[in-house]
Amino acid sequence: MKIRISLPAAFVTPTVLVLGVLAFVPTIFAVNIALENRDLSHDDSHYVWLANFVSLFSDRRFVNSIGVSFVWEVLTVTTTIAASVLLAILMFEATSPRIRNILSLLFIMPVLLPRVSAAFVWKFAFHPLFGLATYPYKAIFGQSIDLLANPSTALATVALVDTWQWALFFSVIVLKLLESLPPQPFEAAKLDHAKTWEIYAYVALPMLRAPLISLTFVKMIESLRSFDLIYVMTRGGPGITTETLDMYAFSQGFIEAGNISYASSMAVLMMIGTTVAFTILWKRVRG
Amino acid sequence: MKRRRASGWIARGVLVAVAAFAVVPVLWTLLNAFKNRVDIVTPVPLLFFTPTLDNFRYVLGRASVEAGLLNSIAISGASVLIGAILGLPTAYAVARSPRKWADDLQFFVLSLRFLPPVAIAIPLMVIWLDLGLYDTRLSMIVTYTLLTLSTIVWLAVPAFKRVPREVEEAAIVDGYGPYAIFFLIALPLAGRSLIGAIAFSFVLVWNEFLIALMLTTSDAKTLPIVASELTQLGRDVPWGILNASVILLSLPPLLFIGILSGFLNTVVTKKL
Repeated sequence: MKIRISLPAAFVTPTVLVLGVLAFVPTIFAVNIALENRDLSHDDSHYVWLANFVSLFSDRRFVNSIGVSFVWEVLTVTTTIAASVLLAILMFEATSPRIRNILSLLFIMPVLLPRVSAAFVWKFAFHPLFGLATYPYKAIFGQSIDLLANPSTALATVALVDTWQWALFFSVIVLKLLESLPPQPFEAAKLDHAKTWEIYAYVALPMLRAPLISLTFVKMIESLRSFDLIYVMTRGGPGITTETLDMYAFSQGFIEAGNISYASSMAVLMMIGTTVAFTILWKRVRG
Repeated sequence: MKRRRASGWIARGVLVAVAAFAVVPVLWTLLNAFKNRVDIVTPVPLLFFTPTLDNFRYVLGRASVEAGLLNSIAISGASVLIGAILGLPTAYAVARSPRKWADDLQFFVLSLRFLPPVAIAIPLMVIWLDLGLYDTRLSMIVTYTLLTLSTIVWLAVPAFKRVPREVEEAAIVDGYGPYAIFFLIALPLAGRSLIGAIAFSFVLVWNEFLIALMLTTSDAKTLPIVASELTQLGRDVPWGILNASVILLSLPPLLFIGILSGFLNTVVTKKL
């Protein structure tokens, strides 16, 4: 007799098992490590329960890194969404389909670059002496400028690179969304002598509300992955002005102290925070 | 009408500037990769110079770059392959199952993306150390499978949903079983979008940095790690070599630009 396994069971079970093991085992380990006092240089460790978490809240660097992460998140998400919508409208209004296709290809390129490459390309462009981006300033004012070493501009400069990768990419998506809209509402609004910006503000963008919210959501998740850019461009500096949560966790666990239990307790807090926040957001968005 | 035309030209001017913003930094890096050090370290950026292949020759001749390249190919390739073999059938089953159920699984797959990479990398480092697999290709492949598998399922479900049910119903009438329908009908019909999803997951793991940084030290280092180490070199920075290594690292993802922009078209115009 031939044993028949139903297709959904055969196709879904292995994946769910693999993903489940790969996601939950590390999560459980992360919590476990966070409750110990493990150290990369010592073999012995024991449970200290919540001591790591308690000391986190009196750690000024930790509090600082929450602030930096928050500013980073708000800055990159808002500039990405605003710039991408604006660019998409410009393309939709002012270019022929052929030009649009060329622009789309060019605008997708930055996001495909490894973040390490993007970070290096811009780190060199902002080099105070030999950089292409700082050259105009040097030529006009006769002195060099180091945006990445200045505490008040470093984070914004790194955020510019993030926007370079994501806003251009998203503008292509928003353009395709605009192209997929039916033309009748646009024509009706034009007959009513609506101004161009009014058509977009009151007709087109409200029609795209759901996909724009999804895009914002995706960008919020991707913005959490700022580590590569910051690691290559500033290493959290100058001082701790660009030290995000993941950068601080990394430097506690690997660069300075080797204190992986402390780093893990930060990671656990991040995990709880993002999972709770995004689950609530997702459920609300999806209704 | 005249004002309309003027604003159109302004818009086009802005777009040209943005296009330059998108491309020039990368082109400049490409140009610098062919320069001798003296042509890079100049007070005024040089557009014309005598090109040299020394930078590429040096980078490609380095053992660490070669090892990183082989590791990246092996690790990204294997994890994408496993992700596709496990993920495509799952995505198909999910696309053909009741909506509520499918939504839950899609959310589970997406929620894996909420996990901060640090939060995965720290415990995995301990686990791989305990198992004696730290800094091996095997441990990196297993770790990256988490990324490729969840991404492929997430992107392939909508692709299979777009395969018309009527075609499959016709196949049932012709006597095809459920597995035959998947392999002979659904898979080829969704093929183009599926290749896009697979290419996307490849770019994702090829570019991955943080997890590789924490889970490898020498034997299994991937190319992004090797390249970043080159960028951290000391005082007499070999700028030309850096630019060349960044270009080499960026080439594979850029090869997929055609596939991915086509994929974007199908995803956005028929879904979302």
